Formats: sequence, structure tokens, C-alpha cells
Amino acid sequence: MNEIDRERRELHKTLRGAGERPDPSLRITRRMFLHRSLLTGGAVGAASYGWFPLISTLDFMVGQAGAQPTSFKFAWISDSHLYPKDVNTRFVDKAVRAVKEVQAMNPPADFLIYGGDLAQLGDPVELDLGNDILKEVKIRKVFIPGEHDWYFDMGQKWRALFGQPNWTFDHKGVRFVGLDTISRGPDYWTAKKMSPKERMGHMATLDGSVAGAWAGVGRDQLEWLNKTLSGWSKDRPIVIFSHNPLYEYYPPWNFWVRDWREVHEVLRPYGNVTNIHGHTHQVLYNEIGKMRSIGMLATAWTWPYAPEGVPALTKCKVRVDPGDHFDGVGWSRLTLTAANRVDNEYMMWRKDVFADAAVDSGCADNVNQVLHPRVADQEWVYYGAYK
Amino acid sequence: MKTIRIALIAAGVLIVSLLIVTSAAAHKDKHTPQQLKAFEEAFMEQVRVGDLLFHGDDAIQKKLNVTMSRTGTACAMCHPFASDTHPHEFPKFQEQIGQFGTLRDMINWCIEKPAEGEKLDPDGTAMKALEAYIYWSNRGSKLDPGRH
Repeated sequence: MNEIDRERRELHKTLRGAGERPDPSLRITRRMFLHRSLLTGGAVGAASYGWFPLISTLDFMVGQAGAQPTSFKFAWISDSHLYPKDVNTRFVDKAVRAVKEVQAMNPPADFLIYGGDLAQLGDPVELDLGNDILKEVKIRKVFIPGEHDWYFDMGQKWRALFGQPNWTFDHKGVRFVGLDTISRGPDYWTAKKMSPKERMGHMATLDGSVAGAWAGVGRDQLEWLNKTLSGWSKDRPIVIFSHNPLYEYYPPWNFWVRDWREVHEVLRPYGNVTNIHGHTHQVLYNEIGKMRSIGMLATAWTWPYAPEGVPALTKCKVRVDPGDHFDGVGWSRLTLTAANRVDNEYMMWRKDVFADAAVDSGCADNVNQVLHPRVADQEWVYYGAYK
Repeated sequence: MKTIRIALIAAGVLIVSLLIVTSAAAHKDKHTPQQLKAFEEAFMEQVRVGDLLFHGDDAIQKKLNVTMSRTGTACAMCHPFASDTHPHEFPKFQEQIGQFGTLRDMINWCIEKPAEGEKLDPDGTAMKALEAYIYWSNRGSKLDPGRH
């Protein structure tokens, strides 16, 4: 067992008492997802699995016991990483496709959450482009920032377009919270006299070593979160949107928030918490204590699973075709059914989302692989990146 | 004429023999720490060049006169820490290329197709440096040539 697993289990044991699970009203069933294009008539392939570890469709009850069923949908899009159009049209095409599909939802979604990394290099041109694309979605939109949106001008343009980076609202019996997990990075630029472009370049390099452990919620926002939830009943549903996962998956790529232990302490009294996050560009599912966590797809490109820390509860995505830039990416549709359940459907633009055989698995594919961090972004004399 | 030819052959044999003897002698001395350091530095120099190329550094691409992407993208965007490059599994039948190929073939496929750049000279400086970085990042991986 590695260090991450050890720590994860210890915290899990501390936060979840004997016999406790996430609130039973968040009943999970798992059905193999079938792409809409494969569905004919009323025949929908379905299979139920044990509690662990298959996640393809997540169903959970959001109404209080005895309450009238409430039905609504919401959609998630994130990680579009737009460059200016004259540099890259592929990422634009995919963002446009996701937006059109969200807008075409019938019945329509109650709202769209855009989960961060609309831009690639924080350029105002990129953010304006993304904002224009998202204007095609006519339903309510809420936004949280990603690190790619922020570190060129420290969030100035993003705030001008989308407002406050953290927020909360209640909708049909659910308290939704948007967290900012990206703006509290340590200052790695002032001492080195970096230009905004250089600062952004380091932040935009997932496997870089300069920006460090930038993902975090921060003490001020933890206090805000605590206060925001304090009036909410402990057994009522809470959905928290964040760009980064709220647990420790793989710190070298900031697949975490550095203060995830404190986040879980704040959430400890609540039995009905779901975290939906971006940043990882892959299918992920985890439970820590009484909180469940679901990773969303990117529209821009998919990432390999990290060399360690993939949650045991995750059923890995299928290996994708690098020759098809629409493969392995997409968006998510979350539907609250008349039976008061919400289905999370990965709207990946391919037939199969999850691997069954090891040869098709994005995790098993790396069974022989040992990886090492890069070296050239720290000290090398020829270093000229992002100048 | 025949005498000249024999003389030339004899001279050739002598030169080759001298080269072999000289070369062999170079390996008869135990390695010094300085030599080992120089060998490692020669390798790591290429790893660093490859690292920068892999991460889309403009300056090093200009210096080596290569264009690895025309979409703003870099290898590392899909392959952080050179993951999923699987150098230890080449050569193999490469599905995307539709034929048996080497790591260098796949590097060039990635540059030309997803990144929309210009193929590298398969024996050129940039290719060797990329190969050095990818292998170095994946050191310790289990050799499994041919694995899909």
C-alpha cells in the first residue's frame, strides 16, 4: 500500500463511523452507459453491480423523505482550453459541439455549470471566445474558474466576464456550492521577475515543477464554506462544484487540493455531499468519508490516469484513439428523474466509455509503466520556454 | 598495377587493425569518475533538450529548426511525465500507423497527425533528444516489446 492509499484509508476511517455510508437517500445504482445513438425504442441495456466499484451512471435521491418528487436536469461542461481561433480550431469545434448538445437537451437543463479552464493561456481573447461560444446556451449558466483562466492577469478578465469565483444557491431541495480551488497558488513569479505570459506558461504545464502545489481552497474560503453550510440540514443534499478534486489523487499534477483534509473536516457533519470536479480530464469516482466525488470529462483532450493514486472505486475509461480528436472527451448530463434520482451520464463522443477487458483499459494499459518527473523547467541554461 | 593494388589492400588492413587495437585499448583502462560524469552529462544534455521539445519550447525548436506543432499543443499536454508513450513496448504493430513500427515512427505520427506539425528527421538531433527524454522519463518500466 502506498502513502496516498494509507492516508486516504486513515482519513476515511476517521470521517466515516462504523456502518456509516453516504446518506441512503443518495442511493447508487450503476448502469452501463449506452450512447444515445445506440438506443433504439425503449430498449436500454442495464446491469446492476455491487456497491463497488463500477460507476457509469450515478443515481441519487435528492428529495427529503416524504417530499414530492422533483425533477430537473443540469449539465456540466469544462476544460475546453481554448486558444485563439487562428491557432487552434479543434478545441473550438469540440466546445461548440458540447454547447449545441446542451442547448438541444429536451427537456432542457435547469442550468449549466461551466467547471473551469475555458481558456488555455488565460488570454482575454481566449476567454472572450469561450464566452461567445457559451452564449449559445440560453439556460442559466454558472461558472467556476480553472487555473488556465486565471494566471495571465490573476483573474481580472475572468471576473469581469463571470463574476465571483465562489458562490452558493439552493435549487429544488439541493444546496449547490461553487468553490474556487485555483486562485490561491503560492507566488512563484515575483522573485523570478516573470512576465504574465511566463507565469501563465508554468501554470499551464500540468507536469511542470515551477508552479508547485497551487490547488487549494484556502482558510478564508473554508470559513465561508462552513458558514454557508451551517444553516443547512445535515441530511439534505449538497452538491459542491470544484475545478480540482477535493481529495488527494495525484499531487504532482495538482489532482487534489492541498487542504483536502480541512475540507473534509468542514463537510464531516453532512451525510449527503457530492463533489463534481473537472481538471483531471478523465472518468473518476471516489468516496472519502461520507462524500462522493465524480470526475468529469474535458472537451479539449483526455489525460492518462496518473501513475498512482487512482481511486479503487474508479472503473477506468477505455483507451482512446489519438487519431480522433473527438475521442475520449465530452461533457456530462445530470438528470433528476421523476423518481427523484439523478443520472450522471458521461456524454463521451464514442460508443464505449468504460473498459471491460484489461487490453482496453486506460489503467491496465500502463501496468508496465514507471514514470519520473521532468527536469528542464528549473535550472537548465537553455531554458527559454514561455519567454 | 597489381603491386599497387596489393599495397593499397595491405595499407587498408593495417589501418583497420590499428583502429581496432586503439579502440580496444580505450576500453582496457578502468573508467574514471570523470569519464562516467562526462558520459552522464552527454546523456542528460539530450534529455533536457528532449524535455523542452516535448513541452513545446519555441526557442529550442527554432534552434533545431523543427516545427513540432501548428495547433499550439505540445507532446506533454497529452503525455505528462511522458506517460502513455510506452517506449518499453516498442517495436510493435502500431494500430494508428497500421504497420510494425518503432518509437520514432510513433513520435513522427503524433507530430504529423494530432499536433499537425512537421515530421522530424528520424535520425536527426531533435528525434534523438526526444527519444532520450521519453526513455529517461520511463526508466525502470518493464520491457515488454510488442505489447499492444
